[in-house]
Amino acid sequence: MMHCYLYLSIILFCLGIIGVIARRNVFTVFMSVELMLNAANLAFITFSRVHESMDGHVLAMMVMAVAAAEAALALAVVILLHKHKSKLDTNVFSLLKG
Amino acid sequence: MFADGLFIGFAVLAVLGAVGLVLFRHPMNGAMSFVVTLISLAGLYALLSAKLIFALQLIVYAGAIMSLIVFIIMFLNIQPGDLPQEETKLFYVLGGGIVVLPIGLFLAKIVKSLPEHSTEILGNNFGGVKEVGLLLFRDWLIPFEIVSILLLVSLVGAVILAGKRGTTK
Repeated sequence: MMHCYLYLSIILFCLGIIGVIARRNVFTVFMSVELMLNAANLAFITFSRVHESMDGHVLAMMVMAVAAAEAALALAVVILLHKHKSKLDTNVFSLLKG
Repeated sequence: MFADGLFIGFAVLAVLGAVGLVLFRHPMNGAMSFVVTLISLAGLYALLSAKLIFALQLIVYAGAIMSLIVFIIMFLNIQPGDLPQEETKLFYVLGGGIVVLPIGLFLAKIVKSLPEHSTEILGNNFGGVKEVGLLLFRDWLIPFEIVSILLLVSLVGAVILAGKRGTTK
């Protein structure tokens, strides 16, 4: 049964990568990154159950805190960019292109 | 078995929600289908007898972070014309799938080489609040404090970035 959980984690992580590669909407890209974080969390919790130690739970909590910090910052940046360009396309946001 | 049936249901819901997130055009639809993924992941954590993480996933992820994202999506008042034109989306999804497939197969091979282990629900308070809290404040105290500083810094950064109203541009 442990293998099934890890396969599901791999599938979700790959879907997250595909979302980051294929989509150009800022929100969808951002939520795909969150999906990858969640897939990593699932692997942490599975291994934590397998080894019957709770360090994986603590690490999953850390990942959640990092995701919350990332959400706050990324959404602030999205609001700023939308204010400047009034677009949500990642191809438009090329301020660092030089 | 009952737990296996629950696992299959939650896994199918999680994958469907993730596929919907990748394929829906409007970010609001994507956010709603991502909430389905998060809630079914919470169910999977409960099946892995991680009680505290189950509650945190529902409260922090599906509750706080997703409501923040949905709030920002509604705050920007996105019209269909504001969305990027993605005519070549399916092409990119297929290309991304082809790129990602070897990585996924490689990881699956690694998982296959691991010894199988049952994931029966454990008794003896495994994953309860008290046990995880003791571990958190004994062995993981320094990382916990560092994460709290990270949250504070990101809070200040978000306020400075998004709250520039009176200043000159």
